Amino acid sequence: MVNPTDIKTAQRPAPKARKVLMNRAIREALDYELANDPTVFLMGEDVGPFGGVYQTATGLYEKYGPERIRDTPISEAGFIAAAAGAAMAGMRPVVELMFVDFIGVCLDPLFNFIAKHATHTGGKQPMPVTIMAGMGGGYCDASQHSQTLFATFAHLPGLKVVAPSTAYDARGLLHAAIRDPNPVMFLMQKELLGLGLWGTLPGATSIMPDEPFELPIGKAFVRREGRDITLVGMAASAHMARQAAEALAKEGIDAEVIDLATISPLDRDTVIASVAKTGRLLVADEDYRNCGVAGEVIASVCEAIGHKLKAPPRRVAFPDTPIPFARPLEQYLRPSAEKIVSTTLDLFKDYA
Amino acid sequence: MTEIRIAEDQWDEDLEGNLLTWLYDEGTEVSQGDVIVEIMVEKLQVEIEAPASGILRHGKAEGDLVNRGDVIGSVRPG
Repeated sequence: MVNPTDIKTAQRPAPKARKVLMNRAIREALDYELANDPTVFLMGEDVGPFGGVYQTATGLYEKYGPERIRDTPISEAGFIAAAAGAAMAGMRPVVELMFVDFIGVCLDPLFNFIAKHATHTGGKQPMPVTIMAGMGGGYCDASQHSQTLFATFAHLPGLKVVAPSTAYDARGLLHAAIRDPNPVMFLMQKELLGLGLWGTLPGATSIMPDEPFELPIGKAFVRREGRDITLVGMAASAHMARQAAEALAKEGIDAEVIDLATISPLDRDTVIASVAKTGRLLVADEDYRNCGVAGEVIASVCEAIGHKLKAPPRRVAFPDTPIPFARPLEQYLRPSAEKIVSTTLDLFKDYA
Repeated sequence: MTEIRIAEDQWDEDLEGNLLTWLYDEGTEVSQGDVIVEIMVEKLQVEIEAPASGILRHGKAEGDLVNRGDVIGSVRPG
């Protein structure tokens, strides 16, 4: 027999929570900053009437016009340098570099000018440039369209680097990036953006408030608390770490999961505090293994509390080779939840 | 009850769309004009608004392929 109270409960409307894909979250942050700061403008390839290849700018051209939403030619060196000039003239440019891999043709304005100009001028001339770029692989786009390049940017002083894993973080961090007086690389993992054609990871969709909010750049997030091992990831690899933690729980291993969210400045304190508790560390990083963020996280932990580790740290990163086109090869090399699980199980077996 | 239908002119060519996401769970009370669903057509993302205010029902699931003219859900008065 059905209790009448239950029927009433079942028919009550669900609370109105808006579920938003990451590319919409980015669009909403851009829209708000464009509306509230006349010095903010957006430029890049196809960001105008087409709305950007990731649809991060849909509707913005119609709302703000061609002066503030500027389509550029296929000349990354030109428009990244133009952003530097605009910032010197008091503007707050946001640039979409379609694929982060294309940074290769515009490294000079980025590395030698944008990253260093505030220092060269004794802080008198800030460089509030935000460069949004699609990154990451896993969908057969080969060596020049699949890289993450976290370490390439993080290695250079003067740049901030963020790589959000959820729509909520993307929105909060993009507000912070645009308002930041320093240049920020805002790295958008293609498989998290919500576009069907890149494959959409459901965990990246967030309940989104209507009001704008800021998340601090340089703060990592503890996604899952655990006692036995700390799993660190960023962007897609944070999702892999979380999936791995669920699988490891079934094996009796209680993993803590940390999502870096910001690559530079790195939130070493949060990772060190976690490893001080768990005594074990694995970093999952889709970037190349050699001289990578995973190595930096491990070194930072070892410098601080190496004597407290119960086992040597481990990393699951992309092997030092250009990313293959063929799906079986790419999947064989790319980090995954399964590789995090097997590496963790081996660690517990070898250092029981 | 009001059907949520993809308009015949929602996108230009006779292409299949991929239902990316419902912005609200089934059973949520939505207002007329709220963006409630996003569909990917080739490389373009298309938004559909609630045709009326009421309780949302999903007819198609996320990931389903949809065409212009399809009924993809409904809203009934709350």
